[in-house]
Amino acid sequence: MLIPHPLLGLRDAQEFTYLGDARLLDRPDGLAPDAAEAFADYVYLRDNPAGLHRELWFHEQGDRSWLVVTRDTVTHEILGAELARDVALARRSK
Amino acid sequence: MTDLTPICALGAEAPQQARFGALHLAENPGLGLASLALRRGQSAAEPALPDLVLPGPGGWAGTAGLAAFWTGPDMWMIEGPGQAEADFAAQVKAWAPGASVTEQTDAWAVIEIASSAGAAPLEALLARLVNIDLAGFGPGRAMRTGLEHLSVFVIRRAEDRVAVLAMRSAAETVWHALTTVARRQERGGP
Repeated sequence: MLIPHPLLGLRDAQEFTYLGDARLLDRPDGLAPDAAEAFADYVYLRDNPAGLHRELWFHEQGDRSWLVVTRDTVTHEILGAELARDVALARRSK
Repeated sequence: MTDLTPICALGAEAPQQARFGALHLAENPGLGLASLALRRGQSAAEPALPDLVLPGPGGWAGTAGLAAFWTGPDMWMIEGPGQAEADFAAQVKAWAPGASVTEQTDAWAVIEIASSAGAAPLEALLARLVNIDLAGFGPGRAMRTGLEHLSVFVIRRAEDRVAVLAMRSAAETVWHALTTVARRQERGGP
């Protein structure tokens, strides 16, 4: 499986470590009144879609960047990859 | 006072070297290394390295006395040939006072591989060892990848020269991998 790294081009998936759902980037506010519930969901609840899934991959044997990879869990087709840093910064500026 | 004996990464007092056909492998104990990371919002044009422009992703750039390769977004490794025994990080910090500079010299074992028969034997060796697309790995490219399950930097210094930077604590493992494959290649085996 090849992952299209936004900076380095196609890289072998062996170089990466998989973390899981990219929603981990949306860390809840720990000081909000419903923080305990929000963190229970954040830590334990995951969707398990058959189809498109956005997930975090770490380029461990590479440039050490985190990527948000869009993958089809049915076919394992990789549809795109972006730097998690860019995704997080874009969300923050919204 | 304790009497300390300086040794090279491969454990001997003198650097190791070996020749297999056209390929010459040599430990390079003299290379000073320092990592350079930009602070948030800092421009890559700010560090003023003499006669050297910091390369883009996957790149390596070098002059006679100084070189740099890209290691990650806004991060580079700076190489100072013959600077291993000097305070190389302090020198880099003086060129880039606003950036974060970390001494790296003794964290790495550096193995220089040279070919006396052009690029072919070198590329054959790399094809057996590392997950790099050689079509896009000409002179001036540097890539971090896996070699024998270890994370290494591979630098294409010239058509016929490559350097491998490996974790110093795993120096012998990488030397073993390189020499074993180079020996098999010389014999024409698998």
